[in-house]
Amino acid sequence: MKESLINLLINTDTFFRNAMEEEENFTIPVLIVLAVGIISAAYGYLIGRLTSQMMSAVTPGIESIILISTILGAIIGTFVFWLIWAGVLYGFSAVFKGEGTFKRTLEFTGYGYLPQIIGSFITLAAAFEYLPEVKVPQISTAGIPTDQLGQVIQNAVSTMMHDPAMVELTQITVLITIVFLLWSANIWIFGIRHARKLSPRDGALCVGIPVIAYILYMIYNLGVS
Amino acid sequence: MKMHWILTSICLLLFASTLVGVASADLSESMSPVTGNVFVSSVTFYPEVFFTGDKGTATYVVMNSNTNTSVMLNHGTFSDDNFKLLSGTYDFSNTLGPLQTRPFTFSILADVPEGDYYPSFSLSFYNSNLYHKTLVQVDNTPLELTVVDKPDAFTQGKKKTITIQVANPRKNDVRNMILEVAGDGITASPSRTFVGDLASGAKIPVNFSVTPDKETPLALTLTYDNGDNPHTVTMNIPVTFGTDKKQADPVMSNVIVKNDGSVYHVTGDVNNAGLDTANTVTVTSLSPAVPQDPYKTYVVGALKADDFGSFEVTFTTDANSTSVPIQLSYRDSDGNIYNSVQNVNIPSTGITAQKSSGLPLVPIIAGLVIVAVFVGGWFVYIRKNKK
Repeated sequence: MKESLINLLINTDTFFRNAMEEEENFTIPVLIVLAVGIISAAYGYLIGRLTSQMMSAVTPGIESIILISTILGAIIGTFVFWLIWAGVLYGFSAVFKGEGTFKRTLEFTGYGYLPQIIGSFITLAAAFEYLPEVKVPQISTAGIPTDQLGQVIQNAVSTMMHDPAMVELTQITVLITIVFLLWSANIWIFGIRHARKLSPRDGALCVGIPVIAYILYMIYNLGVS
Repeated sequence: MKMHWILTSICLLLFASTLVGVASADLSESMSPVTGNVFVSSVTFYPEVFFTGDKGTATYVVMNSNTNTSVMLNHGTFSDDNFKLLSGTYDFSNTLGPLQTRPFTFSILADVPEGDYYPSFSLSFYNSNLYHKTLVQVDNTPLELTVVDKPDAFTQGKKKTITIQVANPRKNDVRNMILEVAGDGITASPSRTFVGDLASGAKIPVNFSVTPDKETPLALTLTYDNGDNPHTVTMNIPVTFGTDKKQADPVMSNVIVKNDGSVYHVTGDVNNAGLDTANTVTVTSLSPAVPQDPYKTYVVGALKADDFGSFEVTFTTDANSTSVPIQLSYRDSDGNIYNSVQNVNIPSTGITAQKSSGLPLVPIIAGLVIVAVFVGGWFVYIRKNKK
């Protein structure tokens, strides 16, 4: 890949046009997705630490399990989501009679994660700012019947998620995610357009429909949570 | 004839001298200083005062106060027209030395009505007799049982304490008092109490607790010994169910509900509006609330009448709850637990309120605006490229 990543952000169409002239290369996309995964894992670690703090009284020793599963889940989940997302775009583009390999679609989708590195950093900074203010409810099993324990944990999680600091962090995270997801969508539109040889309109629809649906879902969750 | 008169006169003189001699044997001038110093020094009746039909003993202690002369005692007897002598008389002779005492004890039966009686004791010396009369009383006044304290009403299955008083209006002490408490469907603790002895004119309180399963008369039976004779006095206490007008009545007031974002805090006061003391008053929350630290259960402690204490309980609850039952518990002096529940409304602020206080409009609008800008931008871009 001779093109600079800066071009990907400011001159996306040219970047992918040039990229089409080269063989598929996953080095950069994998590194970009890995970076997103690592930052997400850091964010997950901060959230997992609060959860493990809350659950420690219920199940001693669960802290390490929660932290490891949160970190690995964030990294692996990012890669899995990359594959799924590429599949979705590939599927949508097929509706518009797109031509091109899945490999190319996967590669270009990976490039689209670049803005999310910035977004994840900002989210992580916000988490550092807000999470220390979250009051974590302590679950004590003493005197609680076993059949009520599930309800207790559910109440505690609900209580933590509705902590004012946590609510504010969630709202900020959603807004940041929307902004940088749309930036990514912008890249994916150009990417899928070249990877699948689509018109600008078809490329925009291919990416825009699932992305906007996902964003609306996030906004909906923000309202009902 | 003259001789006959002389013989007759001599016989008469001899007879007269015999009579005078017999009389002088009782009150012989030569022996009276000795026998005059022999007397009944003490008399003891056991019991001191008899019930009609009581058996007992009369003990006469005879003392020889002569310093250097012994006397011969014969035929010690107890005699009375009313009291029956159950034992025999002292028919044998005894020598009582100088300054010595000797008891003469008789078993007797007071088979007589109430009243004062004067049985006599007699003793023969070799040349005189001793007679002694003493007052002994027969009194059928029993011991008195009085209820000093009992609840206004009983509650099924709840233990209550009753205090009674045993008084002795008799002129003598009684022994071995035992109180028995019984009743159909009643569990008494203790059901049998040894009270002990009770002096004349004295009184003693006795406590016991009863747990009734049904309304019934409570039978109290006090047995006691007058001397060695058992006697009984009984009393019935009606056990009826109802509301004790004096019972403690803790009431919650000044209840304030807050939350710190993680748990609800309910604070307030508990006032005892009853007359009795409410012991170990505790406050806690019930389902759907789940008590949480630091105040899962708040122990207010004992509250006397008109006294009050503050409390604070902490809990979480599900999102749909609009009110939470707060339970107030206390114990009475017998350890019975009483519960009362008061529903407390969860205010429209706090955990649930944050959920129901409306949509977070600012981030939603911001999100929609961003999406609109993005869509609009691409719409324009596509139209431009078409042209």
